[in-house]
Amino acid sequence: MAMNSGAELPGAGTGPGSGGADEHAEDERLACGRLLSEVWEAGEGGADDPHLRACPHCSAAVRQLDLLGAAVRGAADGGGREPQLDAGALTERVMDVVRLELRPGRPLPLGEREEDLWVREAMAAKALRAAAETVPGVRAGSCRIRPAESGGSPSRGPVRVRLEVVVPLTPGLRDLAEEVRRRVRGAADDALGLPVDHVDVHITDVAEPAGADPAWTDPAGTDPGTVGADEGNQP
Amino acid sequence: MPGDDGLLAVRAAEGDEDAFEALVRRHAPGLLRLAASMLGSPGEAEDAVQDAFVSAWRRLPEFRGQSAFATWMHRIVVNRCLNMLRSRRPVADLDSVPEPAAPDHAVSPARAAESHAAAVALGRSLSELSPEQRVCWVLRELEGQSYETIAETVGISPEAARGRVFRARRCLTEAMTAWR
Repeated sequence: MAMNSGAELPGAGTGPGSGGADEHAEDERLACGRLLSEVWEAGEGGADDPHLRACPHCSAAVRQLDLLGAAVRGAADGGGREPQLDAGALTERVMDVVRLELRPGRPLPLGEREEDLWVREAMAAKALRAAAETVPGVRAGSCRIRPAESGGSPSRGPVRVRLEVVVPLTPGLRDLAEEVRRRVRGAADDALGLPVDHVDVHITDVAEPAGADPAWTDPAGTDPGTVGADEGNQP
Repeated sequence: MPGDDGLLAVRAAEGDEDAFEALVRRHAPGLLRLAASMLGSPGEAEDAVQDAFVSAWRRLPEFRGQSAFATWMHRIVVNRCLNMLRSRRPVADLDSVPEPAAPDHAVSPARAAESHAAAVALGRSLSELSPEQRVCWVLRELEGQSYETIAETVGISPEAARGRVFRARRCLTEAMTAWR
C-alpha cells in the first residue's frame, strides 16, 4: 500500500463557516509531497499532469480511487439489486394514497340555475384539458375555472375558464387558439353541462412540430403569453 | 420527453391525479436507485421514495416551478434519506451498526466470490460513514454532481461538501485496501 506516509496535515480551503475543517484535517501528504485530496481531484478531473502519471505515489492513490469506483459500479450494476426495486408497485402505492387525499377544490355549478348539481374544479379542468388536446399538437397546462360573476360563495351561474396551452409552431396561432377555445367550450356545454360565459386561451409556449420534442422551451425569448384568443372584454 | 414535466406538474398541482401518476411513473426508477445507494436497503429505499412522492403531492400547490420537477423531487428524496440515516444511526456506538448492504448486493449467483466480498466490504464501510458523508459521496460518485449542486441539496457549503466527499473516499478506499 502506497498511502502510508500518514502525517495528518490540515488541508487548504477550509474557510470560516465551511464546516469542513474536521474532514480536511484527515488529508494526507503523500511521500512525493502532494496532498491526497489534490491528487484525487486532479485524477477525477482527468488533469493532464506529467507528475501524476510518473509519480508512483500519486498513481497508486489514483488507482485506489479507480478501484473504489469499479467496486461501486459493480455493486450497482451487477449486484442483482435492480429487480428488487419495483417502481411499478411503488407507483401503485403512491397513487393509492394520493387518490384518497382528494383536495377540497372549488365546487362548480352544473346544469340550470335552479338545480343543485356540482362538479369539483379539478374534475372539470381535466375534461377541458382533454378537449383542448384533441387539437393536434396542443398540450394543456393550467386550467382554472371560476364563477363568472364574482361575489357570494359558490354562486350558480356561468363560469369563466382560463386555460394555458403549449402549441406546435405553425402559422396562424390565432386560428389554432380559436379552435382550442371552440372545443373547450363544446366540451363544457355538451359533455359536462357546465354553463360557460368565457374561455380565455393563453399560449404559454410554442413547441417544435411533432418529432422534435426537445424544444419545449421558448427558443428566442419571445413572449407567446401575449398571444391568445380571449372572448369579450377583459375585466 | 422530460420537457413535459413542467406541464404535468402544473396539472398535478391543480389536482390532476393522472398527471401526477405520469410523473411518478417517469421518475420513480431513478429515485429508487438513488435512495437505495444512499440507504443500502431496497425496502427502506421504497419507503423513502414513496414518502417523498406523497409529500410532493401535498406540497405541489406551492411548487411554483422555480426549479425543474426532477430537481425538486431529487432534493426531497435526498433529504428524506438524510433524515432516515440520521434517525437510524445510534450516537457513538459503531459496534451496533447493522450489517446492511451485504444481502442486497449478494444475491446473483453469477457474481464472482471476489467481487461479492468487495461489495460486502464496501457495503459495510458505507454504513460506517456519517449520513452527510454518505449522501454527499453518493451524489458525487453515482450521480456525478458538482460540489455546488451537492452543497445546495444538502444545505451545506460547497467546501464542506468537498470535505465530506473526500472523507468518505478515504474511509472507503482504506476499507477496500484492508479487504484486499
